[in-house]
Amino acid sequence: MDVLVCVKRVPLTGGKMVLTADERGIETRHLGFTVSPHEECGVEEAVRLVEAHGGSVTVVTLGPPEAEEQLRDALAIGADRAILLETDGSDWDPESTAAALADVIAADAPDLVIFGNESADAGGYQVGIRVAHALGRPCVTGLKALAVEDGQLRGEQESGSARDVYRVPLPAVVTVKEGINLPRYPSVPAKLRARRKPVERREPERRDARLELVRLVVPEGRGRQAEVLGEGPSAAPAVVELFQRLGVA
Amino acid sequence: MTVLVFVEHAAGEPDELSLQALAFALDFAGGNGVDAVLIGGADAASDLPVGTAHVAELDGGYAPQAWARAIAQLEPSVLVAAGSERGNEVLAHAAVMTGGALAANCVAAAPGDPAEVTRMRWGGSLLEEARIHGPVKLMTVAPHAVAPATAAGDPAVAPFTPELRDEDLVARVVERVDTSTGGLSLAEAPVVVSGGRGVGSPEGFAPLEELAGMLGGVVGCSRAVTMAGWRSHTDQVGQTGTKISPELYIPCGISGATQHMAGCKGAKKLLAINSDPEAPIMATADYAVIGDVAEIVPAITAELRRVSG
Amino acid sequence: MIAALALTVAVAVAVFLFARRVWLLARLLRMGHAPGIARDDRVPERLRQEVVVVLGQRKLLERLVPGLMHAFIFWAFIVLFPAIPIAMIAIVDADAAPHWGWYEALANVFCVLALIGVATAFYIRKVVRPRRFEGSHLGEADLILAWIASIVTTLLLYHGTESQVWAWAHVLLILGFLVYLPYSKHLHIATAAVNVYFGRTRARGRLEPLRFDDPDVPEEEMRFGIGTVEDLTWKQMMDAMSCTECGRCQDACPAYATGKTLSPKLVIMGVRDHLFAEGPKALAAETYEGPAVAESGQLEEMVWDCVTCGACVQACPVNIEQIDHILDLRRHLVMVESRFPSEAEPMLRDVERQANPWGKPQAERAAWTEGLDVRVLEPGDPVPEYLYWVGCAASFDERARETARSTAKLLTAAGVDFAILGALEACTGDPARRMGNEFVFQAYAEQNVATLGEAGVTKIVASCPHCFNTLAHEYPDFGGSYEVVHHTELLASLVREGRLSPTASEEQITYHDSCYLARHNDVRAQPRELAAAVGQPVEMERREERTFCCGAGGAHMWMEERGGAINEERVREAAETGASTLAVACPFCTVMLDDGVKSSGRDLRVVDVATLLAESID
Repeated sequence: MDVLVCVKRVPLTGGKMVLTADERGIETRHLGFTVSPHEECGVEEAVRLVEAHGGSVTVVTLGPPEAEEQLRDALAIGADRAILLETDGSDWDPESTAAALADVIAADAPDLVIFGNESADAGGYQVGIRVAHALGRPCVTGLKALAVEDGQLRGEQESGSARDVYRVPLPAVVTVKEGINLPRYPSVPAKLRARRKPVERREPERRDARLELVRLVVPEGRGRQAEVLGEGPSAAPAVVELFQRLGVA
Repeated sequence: MTVLVFVEHAAGEPDELSLQALAFALDFAGGNGVDAVLIGGADAASDLPVGTAHVAELDGGYAPQAWARAIAQLEPSVLVAAGSERGNEVLAHAAVMTGGALAANCVAAAPGDPAEVTRMRWGGSLLEEARIHGPVKLMTVAPHAVAPATAAGDPAVAPFTPELRDEDLVARVVERVDTSTGGLSLAEAPVVVSGGRGVGSPEGFAPLEELAGMLGGVVGCSRAVTMAGWRSHTDQVGQTGTKISPELYIPCGISGATQHMAGCKGAKKLLAINSDPEAPIMATADYAVIGDVAEIVPAITAELRRVSG
Repeated sequence: MIAALALTVAVAVAVFLFARRVWLLARLLRMGHAPGIARDDRVPERLRQEVVVVLGQRKLLERLVPGLMHAFIFWAFIVLFPAIPIAMIAIVDADAAPHWGWYEALANVFCVLALIGVATAFYIRKVVRPRRFEGSHLGEADLILAWIASIVTTLLLYHGTESQVWAWAHVLLILGFLVYLPYSKHLHIATAAVNVYFGRTRARGRLEPLRFDDPDVPEEEMRFGIGTVEDLTWKQMMDAMSCTECGRCQDACPAYATGKTLSPKLVIMGVRDHLFAEGPKALAAETYEGPAVAESGQLEEMVWDCVTCGACVQACPVNIEQIDHILDLRRHLVMVESRFPSEAEPMLRDVERQANPWGKPQAERAAWTEGLDVRVLEPGDPVPEYLYWVGCAASFDERARETARSTAKLLTAAGVDFAILGALEACTGDPARRMGNEFVFQAYAEQNVATLGEAGVTKIVASCPHCFNTLAHEYPDFGGSYEVVHHTELLASLVREGRLSPTASEEQITYHDSCYLARHNDVRAQPRELAAAVGQPVEMERREERTFCCGAGGAHMWMEERGGAINEERVREAAETGASTLAVACPFCTVMLDDGVKSSGRDLRVVDVATLLAESID
């Protein structure tokens, strides 16, 4: 079976966020980048499926030229080919993103398309579903377990202390969550091979954004020094009062 | 303009997060009307503070696309739902069906064309001010961004039978598997009480267990504790242990080495109990109590018991 | 005539059997990889090693009784060599054999010394039974000792009786020994001298780099450390063939001392056993696909216990380089098998993606300078005299930050022109390299060398001995050569020059030597000068080049410790000096020993000497 995974390049932000001068992005000069966590698991899941059932894994991203780095990460985990939908790095709204991806995926006609449940940065919660509609395929989201049995996909979604089970025929679109697997630590020979695999580049067409980013704002954080509630056992009433204020007692 | 709110419900009651979404919608609508839509559950609709409560008659379990189809048939121009798993999922489907634009996890919004919203990015570490263009505008509301709607209303309950397409029921819940183990997991616990070297011994964790129990939380520990063999590695909070994101984190006798702090940066509030006022953890904690853990923690549990009677 | 014929046959058979085995060993060594291991330089220094370590038995004599025991046997071996041809001549023609009285007298003295040596050896092995022999082949050693005793006894008897029978006995024992030799651990007689010659002459803390970018090496043949026997370097094979199982490395090993699986001796024995079991198969096979060396014995488990402190390498009398074996085994496990203690994975990923082992934002690297007057070098700025390389620990770990703050204050007070790189400083790659990920390390080596080059840096002062070691001795392999000093070296010279004037308190201070300063890089005097300048120094027993690790080296800062706690063992030793202050010069020692003080409930203040100096000047 052929599996296609869509990934997104996101910065590793650590603690404090600093915005760029135009307030439309975050300052990433000193930041590392990664594949958004849910999608990292998506790539691993795709590679495992193909290891078990045969076929190929294609990884696709929409992003700046540097997103090639994340495609190579996915190739090192075991993806076979990579497609970069190259942008100028500015923010694409979910509809435009989904449309550009759907064009590529429709041409490729994979048996299964895997997305992350939501991206770490924008958190739009909709690109996978929009693509599923564009392709006319069923979509199951937020999977924490996934198996392919007799041309059918069985997926489990966490719901409180239970799991909801879905069974859909292939081809299908799914979105997965971190925890579905533990992504492998890629080997160096695999990384070296990944460096030599070709990355196809396309230039997608951008539509007018109907969800238009105006500017970003850093929310007010908590103070740097702790508020001392007291010293020794005599602080207990102040602590309990705090518990009540926070709603934990 | 009528604002339609998708209300999730369980056991005849609307969900807390949906009531928050409703409050958000009422505020957004200003004086204009707000209607609700529910999938089944006429009981839950009976006193919602809305004009009309549409109740879709649908059989079977959760089927996101079918639910969205039902809602889309009401042809809303503004559709609001909770930023829950299902709220986000159903509205994404509905966005496609209505040809609308969806802004997920909003914390504030102002009507207009375009509508202006403030929504969460990076799980709330960053806010985005955005505009929603087009005739149909969809929003989900970030959990706990607004207080729930409390006023009771007397809506006209309007049951309807949605016209579904074949493909709408392909993806639906066919089975439900209970996975509860009885206990709370460290990663999910709303309160985590962790002990470090300052606790002194494996036995020193007993008061921490008691406190965690009273707060509905679990006990964690620092790397030094695991290394000392006091507790199992599964209890370890930190870079090489579990990363937690509780509402309240209470590190006791933990100095706050980077190793540890990497595991608890997701905590909403941090109350440090430590004998050293200069300990590094004080720079990250929101609240602190200075002194001996072995004295302070039992005093807190005693006070909790006294207060709760 | 018959005697001559019989002797010729005996010699021929013995030489044939000996040569056959030696031929195999030679073919194995030729199979050995030689990636960048050029040990044909520095001939005078290598010859000096030969004289000091082999002839002078310097490393053995560090333990007086076993050292003398071995020296007696070894020197007898050399002195008694001419006795072999003399005995052979005597067998053929008793009258033709020379009877130099002076030589026989000398030989007799050395025979007796050798017998004393053998007797001492038996006493040590049977009565004293030191722990260092745990895991060694004791029966084989007994056989060899008995054999040596027989060889010298027959010589004494020959000298006493002039009887051809004893000459025969002596010669046959020697020929038998010759045949047995290359099959036994006593092979070291032939290999040790060679191994010492080819030992490290330069920085001991430097690891041999792997090559990932050699266009002449196809990927299938690329070496990622030690996978199968075919990946062993000739030096590693030589090490394996030189081991006598004496256990001095095991005795010095902090991991072994605290009950972990690792014994450096068993690592080398494991490599040797695997080499002899699989090596001939690899030689015979067209394409060899054998088991991994790590599967030999408990090697895979052992390699993760190592703190790369170098105590084993330091102790080895035949210059075996145990760390190279352990690191090469780690390299293959990490880079090819992706198999390693899982708790270290976040560190590896954080170093790779975020340029520091704790995944802290690079932008906060200079946060520790708040309130201090520290210049952060921007592109195009004038080059400072010293670039202060802060290191990840002192930049991000709250306890270690104090060292950076103290150092910066002192450099400012002394009027030193210095600056830091701030967010442009990335991890040196050392934790990833010591964990076995050479690939990630080299990416950082190249990046940092480029950064330092662009900034025009020539002199570096480093706070972290691990950074210091990497910058000074490993970056030259990647095109970056700088004059690197540790902060204790620079501060000590500032005190000597009178640019800093501390006053000594009555505080008793015991200084803990960091492995990567004292052992790997010979920085021992300067931190002591500083300790003496601010207080009353008292020494621990294990100190200077024989220091005992804090437990953090070899990427152990990011691994769970199995067995007893190394840091507590060290803290116990420090506390026994009666000192109230445990001075350190490494951010990892600071954290580990401070943890050890707390977990063992001692009353000791763990503090960097730079901080002590800063306090003394305030």
